[in-house]
Amino acid sequence: MTTIALSAANIWKSYGSVQANRGISLSVAPGEIHAIVGENGAGKSTLMRVLQGIERPDSGHVTVMDREVAFSGPGDALAHGIGMVHQEFMLAPDLSLLENLVLGDEPVSFGRGAFARIDWQAAEAQGRELAQRIGIEVDWHRRAGAAPVHIQQFVEIIRLLRRGTKILILDEPTAVLAPQQVTELFDLLRRIREDGTAVLFISHKIREVTALADRVTVIRQGEVAFAAAVSETDGEEIASHIVDGHNPVTDNVKRGTPGSIVLNVTGLSAASVEKSHPLHDISLTVHAGEIVGLAGVAGNGQVELMEALFGLRAATGKVELKGTDLSGLDADRRRAAGIGFISADRRHEGLAIEASIEENTIAGAHRAAPISNGLWLSLRARKAVALERLKRLSVKYGTLRDPVGSLSGGNQQRVVFAREIAGPPQLLLVSQPTRGVDLNGIAAIHSILRDFRDAGGAVLLVSEELDELQVLSDRIVVLAQGRIVGELGADADRRDIGRLMVMEGAGV
Amino acid sequence: MIEQVLAAGVVLTTPILLAAIGGLVNRQAGIVNIALEGKMLVGAFVAVIVSAATGSWLVATLAAALVSMVIGWGFALTITRLGANMITAGLGLNVLAAGAIGFLMSIIYGSSGTLRLPEVALLPHVFPQSVEAVPLLGPMLANLDPLTIFAVLLIAVLPFLLRATRFGLWIRATGNAAPVVRSVGLKPKLMQEASTAFAGFLSGLAGAQLALASIGIFNEGLTAGRGFIALAAFYFGRDRPWQTAAACLLFGLLDAAQIRMQTVGLPPRLIGALPYLMVLVALVITQMRSLRRAQ
Amino acid sequence: MTNWLNRGLGFAVPLLIALLVSAVVLLAIGENPLDTFSLMLTEAFGSPRRLASTLSAATPLLFTAIGTAICFRAGVFNVGADGAFLIGGLAAVVAGFSLPAELGWALAPICLAIGAIFGAAWLFIPGWLLAKLEVDEVVSTLMLNFIAAAITGYLVNGPFLSAQSGNNVTPLVHEAAELSRLMPPATLHSGFLIALAILAAYAFWTRRTSAGLEGAWVGLNRRFSRVVGVSVQRTIILAMVLSGVVAGLGGAAHGLGQLHRFTDGFSAGYGFTGMAVALLGRNTPLGMLIGSILFGALASAGTTIQLFSNIPLDLVNIIQGIVMIFAVIELGRITIRRRSKT
Repeated sequence: MTTIALSAANIWKSYGSVQANRGISLSVAPGEIHAIVGENGAGKSTLMRVLQGIERPDSGHVTVMDREVAFSGPGDALAHGIGMVHQEFMLAPDLSLLENLVLGDEPVSFGRGAFARIDWQAAEAQGRELAQRIGIEVDWHRRAGAAPVHIQQFVEIIRLLRRGTKILILDEPTAVLAPQQVTELFDLLRRIREDGTAVLFISHKIREVTALADRVTVIRQGEVAFAAAVSETDGEEIASHIVDGHNPVTDNVKRGTPGSIVLNVTGLSAASVEKSHPLHDISLTVHAGEIVGLAGVAGNGQVELMEALFGLRAATGKVELKGTDLSGLDADRRRAAGIGFISADRRHEGLAIEASIEENTIAGAHRAAPISNGLWLSLRARKAVALERLKRLSVKYGTLRDPVGSLSGGNQQRVVFAREIAGPPQLLLVSQPTRGVDLNGIAAIHSILRDFRDAGGAVLLVSEELDELQVLSDRIVVLAQGRIVGELGADADRRDIGRLMVMEGAGV
Repeated sequence: MIEQVLAAGVVLTTPILLAAIGGLVNRQAGIVNIALEGKMLVGAFVAVIVSAATGSWLVATLAAALVSMVIGWGFALTITRLGANMITAGLGLNVLAAGAIGFLMSIIYGSSGTLRLPEVALLPHVFPQSVEAVPLLGPMLANLDPLTIFAVLLIAVLPFLLRATRFGLWIRATGNAAPVVRSVGLKPKLMQEASTAFAGFLSGLAGAQLALASIGIFNEGLTAGRGFIALAAFYFGRDRPWQTAAACLLFGLLDAAQIRMQTVGLPPRLIGALPYLMVLVALVITQMRSLRRAQ
Repeated sequence: MTNWLNRGLGFAVPLLIALLVSAVVLLAIGENPLDTFSLMLTEAFGSPRRLASTLSAATPLLFTAIGTAICFRAGVFNVGADGAFLIGGLAAVVAGFSLPAELGWALAPICLAIGAIFGAAWLFIPGWLLAKLEVDEVVSTLMLNFIAAAITGYLVNGPFLSAQSGNNVTPLVHEAAELSRLMPPATLHSGFLIALAILAAYAFWTRRTSAGLEGAWVGLNRRFSRVVGVSVQRTIILAMVLSGVVAGLGGAAHGLGQLHRFTDGFSAGYGFTGMAVALLGRNTPLGMLIGSILFGALASAGTTIQLFSNIPLDLVNIIQGIVMIFAVIELGRITIRRRSKT
């Protein structure tokens, strides 16, 4: 019996000038759940890519079952018993769950090689048996893209186990799950552990780590900052190592003084994107000088609500800004009416990542004076506007012509803010403002939001970090399954907020 | 009259159908093959030369298919390994194929446009001439060549190949989600290359049929946009084998009827554009439906 | 700096591959490639008359390249410049012989405008279908090319067939509708100057207008564009319509300046060669100017070379096809692969 299923020794990996991994070592034993925690950008993903054979390390060794390996690709890693469940699920959406289950290792009833006939009955029997063993039920003939999120995740795990995976890597598997489903997932992982499978569990939620893992490794700035058995440490200690030994950002919590109503939403309903919930009969208000936090598990309608309010998504119901009815107007008109929009997806929506810093900063103001005279643009005015906006939020950059993608995450987000609060708008719709931003950047963005509020602006804030919601918001509204299920003060007990977040079928 | 249209229609359907099957499989693997036309032309050219040289329709047909297959494979490599854009590379390959053939014709045979070679072996007829007596289907059966039979058999087994063989599953998965295919240890690029080579193979057959079914003369305008009609057919059939075959038959019959409609006063040029127009209309209807469903 | 280097390499590499292949082909048929290439250079640029015929051949390509680039940079894969070129050309020519000649100097501009309008209307169809119904623009514009060829082919053999000249041609346009020749007897006509003006307008439009800026944003990132208040639908339709204007104008200039009539086979694949030019020039004004002159040179030199040697004109197609295949390959991939192997 081996005592080490997988180990990485002194892994170094750099991308250009960025050292993503700087001598990381860790190991996981059969029948052990090992949590890897760290902030976004700490180097977790790079390490996983190395372990999975997607990237080659610059130096260092990976051993599987006491034997040194050098993978040529994920298929190779899979053959050595290493399987990974990604954040974005790796199922082909138009194939059935059963087809996804056997893809790459199909049971064959006739013939050999590529043109062998697949034995679909055997496949289904295997699927049913595996599902039973880990205690779930799956409709195997369903189109994968149409199956519920957690079922997709389970099928992916089953697929890996079926391929003989002995080392299972899960990359933030709970990010898209509701609390009930998280519990189910944890039960499933514990059963897998009993079978002797080694589990590497990547997370940044400390409570999940202490609830599930046997051991924990904290990665910070590409190095192992802390490693211990979970029984010998606690959440606070883990947290302190994640954030450089200091306490988590202690914002000087100062609440706003709400004025008159800025945003008034009544009876808003909208269709949903896949994997999420449609909006149902949303009514809420945001006042001047107030930050309203929107709490909820990811995928419960937050994206839909923000898009519907900004006119990016068709919706029924009424949206009023300072008494003016905006219903049915598109984003262009809503922006002109005084709404700013900070997208949750900075790289694909908040910014045009290949375009210049200058263009990203002035976009939206490019059709009006002083930049445009209605016929053509004044390059000088364009530059002046960009410089002024960037200076106001002290964005650090090389030249205005550099692509905005060359900036750090925090500075990219500042460019977005520089553009969106320039108006200034009366209402700012903000989603996940500090995702992928370092600690200094987080503090700066928090103070930008507070300053905006204190100047009389209204903010509707979506964040997956309850901490962030509680330090910034003046009120918290909870969204579950596309409905508003409750409202609390900002300093409410998080257990109360949590309870509302998992409410099922509220108001049906 | 109907008998004649049917007979001519089936002959005209075969090349479209063969190329469309190739294009369909190719698109299932995620590659829109816009170069079917060029590869058909190469197939026809090779078929005529080899047929004249060997006197065997079978050798000629296989040679045509193999040459087009190799070209298809090389074409796939530029897309999968060098990152060429599949649309511009496809259009480029059509231009290149026409250019190369024209070049060879004038260098080797000193002719431009048309290549007549002595003793070109044509495709044999499968049934004895006596089947012509069969009502309605007689002339069609009498004209039936082996490649047409092959095309029909292929379309009959294609749904099975795609649904129930490992390769079929891999192809469909590649077109749907290549990263998934890679993550389970398969090589999606290889699937795309194989499917493009397959499309090349079938385009070569299509070209051979076009050249050897009745005339045995190669002409630079021989394919006359049929590669694009094939493209139109699998778009029209939305990549499903039966629907695509039905579209091919429809376009083939239309092609056959074209000559006759002329006598009624319908301009042939406009009739020739009908398949393209139909695809456009079909695309619009499909999109309207799917948008309505999404709402 | 690196940007310039990239563009330069993007321009040079496909051409080098094409030249290399044609050199091999020439060697295979016993011709000296260097002699042939230098002969082609002389034939294309060696005298004012030859230069004029090169520029004359470059004119339609410049139009279709700009038309294509307008769409490409907005992320719209329009392969329908050829169809718009045909439709615009026929419309302008029909106006050129059926409007009263008494309009005098005003006739040519009117005919050009008509060509532009028809081209615009033609590409408005796929633009609208893409914007409103998300109909794949590659397929729709490809199909529309065939439909345009069929419609114009039918019209020149039917309603607009010239009574005097027999097959496949329309009557000649009025003399007043003709675009002036710049260096008679060479066919270079003022359409080339119009093309240059359009190129300048394109350069201005992309850098100095809000619509041009929006086009680039939509091409880079549609979701971003929506967020900053740009109507993606409107931008797409605008790109298609402008593309139609330019390609239609190109057809009109070709009909009024070069042929003075419309014939079946009016476009010798100008839409596709223009696409190769746009790809090669990476949608930049300078790149497209050089690219169109280069392809113009190939076409005009190729014709004369065929007369003086036994090198077939088809060599030009071989070069063009190779350029199109390799025009957008990612150079980075080749070097990366090489490194990982060693």
